[in-house]
Amino acid sequence: MSKIKKTGKMLNATNKLRNEMGRHFLAIEQAYREGKPTAWATAGTPVELLYSMGVQPMLPENSATISAALKKSQNFIELAEDQGYSYDLCSYFKTNVGAVLSNAEMSEGGTRKPTFMLSSDVICDTHVNWFQVQSERMGGVPHFTIDVPHVVSNTNNRQREYFKKYIKEQLWELLDFITEITGNEYNEAKAREIAQNSYEMGKIWQEVFELRKNIPCPVSTRDTFGGLFPLFTMTGLKSPIKLYKRMYKEAKERVDNGIGALEKEEFRLMWEGIPFWYQLKYFSTLEKFNAIIVYEPYVYAFTKYTNPNITLQDVLKNPVESMAELILSFWYIYDLKTRIEMFAKTVKEWKIDGVLLHNNYSCRPNSCGLYDLKKHLMDDYGIPCLIVDADMNDPRKFNEQQTTNKIESFIEILRKTKKK
Amino acid sequence: MKKIAYFDAAVETPEEIIIAADMIPVRLFGNPTIGIDRANEHVPPTHCVWARNILEQAIKGLDHDIKGVITTHGCDCTNREFDIWLECIKLPFLFFLNAPLKRNETALKFFIKDIKELIFQLEEQFQIKIVSDKIMEAIRKMNQIRNLLRDISDYRAKMILEGSEFHALVKRVQQIDKSEALEILKTKLEVLKNKKSHLDNKLKKILLTGSVIDDTEFIRFLESLGLHIIIDDICIGTKYFWNNIDENGDPIKAIAKYHLSKPIYSTKFPSYERFKILKYFTEKYKVDGVINIAQKFCEPVLYDHPYFSKKFKELEIPYLFVEMEYNRESYKQLTTRFEAFREII
Repeated sequence: MSKIKKTGKMLNATNKLRNEMGRHFLAIEQAYREGKPTAWATAGTPVELLYSMGVQPMLPENSATISAALKKSQNFIELAEDQGYSYDLCSYFKTNVGAVLSNAEMSEGGTRKPTFMLSSDVICDTHVNWFQVQSERMGGVPHFTIDVPHVVSNTNNRQREYFKKYIKEQLWELLDFITEITGNEYNEAKAREIAQNSYEMGKIWQEVFELRKNIPCPVSTRDTFGGLFPLFTMTGLKSPIKLYKRMYKEAKERVDNGIGALEKEEFRLMWEGIPFWYQLKYFSTLEKFNAIIVYEPYVYAFTKYTNPNITLQDVLKNPVESMAELILSFWYIYDLKTRIEMFAKTVKEWKIDGVLLHNNYSCRPNSCGLYDLKKHLMDDYGIPCLIVDADMNDPRKFNEQQTTNKIESFIEILRKTKKK
Repeated sequence: MKKIAYFDAAVETPEEIIIAADMIPVRLFGNPTIGIDRANEHVPPTHCVWARNILEQAIKGLDHDIKGVITTHGCDCTNREFDIWLECIKLPFLFFLNAPLKRNETALKFFIKDIKELIFQLEEQFQIKIVSDKIMEAIRKMNQIRNLLRDISDYRAKMILEGSEFHALVKRVQQIDKSEALEILKTKLEVLKNKKSHLDNKLKKILLTGSVIDDTEFIRFLESLGLHIIIDDICIGTKYFWNNIDENGDPIKAIAKYHLSKPIYSTKFPSYERFKILKYFTEKYKVDGVINIAQKFCEPVLYDHPYFSKKFKELEIPYLFVEMEYNRESYKQLTTRFEAFREII
């Protein structure tokens, strides 16, 4: 892959992310040393409840992104394929299988055998299958899964109510499951403290995103994709809040001084989907066209508190039950109709010129509906869109030259559209 | 008579509710003889080939008696496609049934609520009443069908009935009026009772499992290679009639319970439990080998395969896994693999 020159400015605070990641890994090491319970969790599960129950979470998909960033994912994926897992299966999953098989260090995407596993089908079936596979391969690790009913475009409010009830009941069952395995009891006061931190962290991220509405945009994907890690793994802890506050402060200073992350901002873009973690620098390609990504629904989704019906008071009053509502209103799983509406609204608010949609071979739930999303945004709202075919963690499925050619043509379209 | 179609990878749609609504439940199947064109405008070609095939047919137009479609919770592809159906299929009734992922009491309570919602929406849309007595009547009728199918299925093991003929029969039952189906099955059973074993004993006895395998031609193709499907673990097979619904008590609860207590499919959790029924079949029917078919991009089956492979190896039972395209030309390309498997078992 060709070398790409960095020109955009990353926030200084983002550099501190490494410290947060280090803190997370140290906490894991410490948990093992002290015999504290640990759990694997999939994205979209209420990690806050694990912290509340004194369980140290580990998120293998975030570990998988580390492998990719270090250019190690392909090797791990191929090891998993040697074990019989198809070329067409999720590359996060296969990275994890390969990493565990290789006894990879945590710093390169490895992870350790947990006390138990927590998955959910809120985002995808793969999460559930993944942990079933690994639970068995690791000798039978206890595994709890949260079944989240699938919300579709014609789901009514009556249905949403009993969907929520179903999730709530499972969350209480989860706490019983954890108590049974670890002996740790649910502590409401601790749960409130964790919930408060989680809420605060989500809201600060949202405020950072609000700043990105400004022209020029003060924050690029280097900060958002780069700064995402704690949103998955450390929700409920205090330390990442400090980091995000620093990011906010710095971004605000840029806004106040009219400084953008990009020297010359000409085109403002949205990126839908997971990035290619093995080639994050590729996003710098956009900079040579004076284009910057100002919004990523994937990143925003993990700010969690996107449902205006859920206030801080709700979260503090019902730390467990409010999670059910949040799980159901998670940005990443919006039904097609809501997805189209939210995209159109976001494009308007963030003054976006065009949308890049990642048809991710590994993430079928996200890519299903992408074609209709594109069609509606273009036909109903006149928003230029481009579909990029690739994979989040498997570099074999990324054709750099083809992608660059497509983006180049897309930028030309944007240029013409803007002139009109 | 009006028809309600269902798009379901795991046969967890309560047909009894549709029957009680005086409509005919019709299961949607793929058609491997058509090309996929229009569906590819909506769903990327790297998604489940079977689900795209059915979408293609629906876009081009379903039977005009079909007044609605129920999509029942299956995998990521079938679930997510529902919104696309809402976009491009103009029918008065489209309902997504959230058949739960799990198999416990909490899931059961939830499923009952979702079936009640289905009833409510059917009643509202078609201005009808679906009463308990009629649901119970439908349960009894479906139980008769299940009993007959179980009896008929045994004739495969007795080397009297070809697997392909049985497959076609189950498929037909899932698509026609159930009173007619009942008569067909009764007649068929009588015919079979008077038949003697005539299938070649040299045929290899196979347990078939995997994705939705709905093309009877594929079963005929296997037979042409000397592989007889003596038993199966698929939804156009034993998963459709494994046990009966309780005829006592609350009919909706009984229906929900039936679906959550039958052998699990790869789309549900914990899908590894599927191995238990496979093992049971291999022992009961003394099969020569197991064939696991994954339709291209069928993720649930792809995830389960390495585990099944390992377990059958431990049991020293020959196991063949094949991932295939959903078109008949591709069958021929697989001839060598199936022939080689036949040779080693």
